[in-house]
Amino acid sequence: MRRLHPLSGAVSVGRGLLQGAFFGVIAGTTLAGLLGLPAWTGPLMIPALALVLGGFALTRYYRFTYEIEGETLRVESGVFARQSREIPLGRIQNVDSRQGVLNRLLGLAVVAFETAGGNATEATLDAVDKGEAERLRRLVQRHGEARAEPETEASAVTGEAGDKPSPGPADDSPAHTDTQELFDFSMRDLLIYAVVSVRPAAPVLLLVGLPLGIDALLTVVRFNLGLVGGPTTVSLAVLDAFGPPRLVAFALLTALQFLLAALVLSVALTVVEYYDFRLVREGDDLRYERGLLRRYSGTIPLSKVQTISIRENVAMRRFGFATLVVETAGYNGGNGETGQGVAIPMAPREVVYGLARDIEPFGDLDFDRAPTRARRRYAARFAIVVGVLAAVGYAVDTVLLESGYWWLLLGLFVLVPPAAHLRWRHRGVTLDDDVLATRTGFWRQTTRVVPYYRVQTVFVGRSPFQRRRDLATVTADTASTSSIFGGAARAYDIDDERAAQLRDVLRERLYTDLLARKAGRDG
Amino acid sequence: MESLHQRVRLLWAGRSALGGLVLLGLAVVVDRFFVPLPLQVAVAGWVVLAALGAVHALFAHRIWRFSLEDDSLFLVRGVVTRTDTSVPYVRVQHVDTTRGPVERTAGLASVVVYTAGSRGADITIPGLRPDRATELRERLRDLAGESEATDAV
Repeated sequence: MRRLHPLSGAVSVGRGLLQGAFFGVIAGTTLAGLLGLPAWTGPLMIPALALVLGGFALTRYYRFTYEIEGETLRVESGVFARQSREIPLGRIQNVDSRQGVLNRLLGLAVVAFETAGGNATEATLDAVDKGEAERLRRLVQRHGEARAEPETEASAVTGEAGDKPSPGPADDSPAHTDTQELFDFSMRDLLIYAVVSVRPAAPVLLLVGLPLGIDALLTVVRFNLGLVGGPTTVSLAVLDAFGPPRLVAFALLTALQFLLAALVLSVALTVVEYYDFRLVREGDDLRYERGLLRRYSGTIPLSKVQTISIRENVAMRRFGFATLVVETAGYNGGNGETGQGVAIPMAPREVVYGLARDIEPFGDLDFDRAPTRARRRYAARFAIVVGVLAAVGYAVDTVLLESGYWWLLLGLFVLVPPAAHLRWRHRGVTLDDDVLATRTGFWRQTTRVVPYYRVQTVFVGRSPFQRRRDLATVTADTASTSSIFGGAARAYDIDDERAAQLRDVLRERLYTDLLARKAGRDG
Repeated sequence: MESLHQRVRLLWAGRSALGGLVLLGLAVVVDRFFVPLPLQVAVAGWVVLAALGAVHALFAHRIWRFSLEDDSLFLVRGVVTRTDTSVPYVRVQHVDTTRGPVERTAGLASVVVYTAGSRGADITIPGLRPDRATELRERLRDLAGESEATDAV
């Protein structure tokens, strides 16, 4: 059994000592006062607690052992509650490694193994040196290949039976010479991508996350108020003192600042996240690397890809770019790492489709749109939203503002028909030879490609409003993780009869394709 | 297509009435110790809630159907949003029968079918007679075995 790298042990012991000392200070000041202990016990708490936590970290380091033996990864851990875990290599979906700033200085990496079950990463090695991380990754990768190619497996078996070490690539380390560079980002492309893929929510999240974020926000608002010539205290009374023109100027100014901040922050975040992005193909695996401060790298076995998503937002569509995301069953829980599964952050559409077809062959996707009565449905829905908005605006205006301009909101009704049309136009479904493809979204269009043999459960849903118009939504669930967040392949608002047909086709194709794959593997 | 046992309506109606009762209890506690509330209104609210629950249970039972088809388990359910679900037998990972305390007193049982999918990975068929639930579980297990999951995920 192997241990984690000694340096990582030293780091966690150091962290334990520091934490213990910190708790010691708190406990020394509060507890001693509370229980009326003599004054000299206070300072003693600091080394005592530091020793306890440091010792705990040390024991945990010595308890944690792991090894890849034959077909399984074995991990033993735990100080009080001992745990030993065995993961069959064939069940491992992804191997990821990440390096924080400290680990980069020490030349260490945290390696995480993901399987399909459970709701957390199955095994995390925190941390091993880079060579060891590479060795582990290759061991898992080689296992996947041995399974994929029957000849290799067979020769390995005969090698064992003949009591001879099997010759060839199965034993010597660099098994792969066929690494092929698929994609990398130049600084210029990265900046374009960062600008084009602006996430407007980024500054809000950042502000909420920072300790002084709200104060900074209030300072800006106060500054704006001063600029349009109002009192510099933030309260609702300000609205009374302002006439509509100044109010509008204030709102525009703030909105502009917000958008600018969003742009700058979002660009910065994207650059940090995708700096020096690189995608290579090693045999049957895709391997990526990215990150400025924290460096992430990981392998995505092509044989375990569940769903391929191609994302294009409005700006990217305009210039013919797209994002490629491949999903396996491995990643669990929304741990906020938006980059997970991203194979290509941005490339010309042909390149993206080329790689997607390489992973899972499909033809030209010719999407069928929903019947036009679906468009009427969207129009009705948007009209209701605008109506509610206008009503709320009216209420706010009569009670609070008394400006008499609430009817301006009714102007939004003009936007209803084009919005409904755009939503309808960008939704579609198609049954290709080997895959089901669905598409949705105008602002961020997502095209999902699901091979028939990956379909799990098929849902046909009809809300009361859909039933009125004989429409239904078909959801093809797969084991990929993003479908937890409503990201499953969905054919929206198709004709009820067609939905039933679609369900039957999916069910049938699932069986025929599974059998075909099985036959292909056996023969 | 098979429908659920009649008694499940009682179970569902009782459940929503109980849930309402918890809310009512909360209202009483708040009224006693914190802020006076109009309790008559709360009681009327509870009656309305329980009645709605009962109506919902009636409809839910009328709509709920399931059948074992050639290659998949097929379910129809949902009062407001109607959902047809087909679970291919190949995709069944394991099958449970469960009997909660309330179900036990009603003499009913549920079958839960698990798949590796991520959305609605567990599908529950409630309101079955215990022997029927056991039978169904065994049948589903056999069907899942027959269809032989080659690549379950």
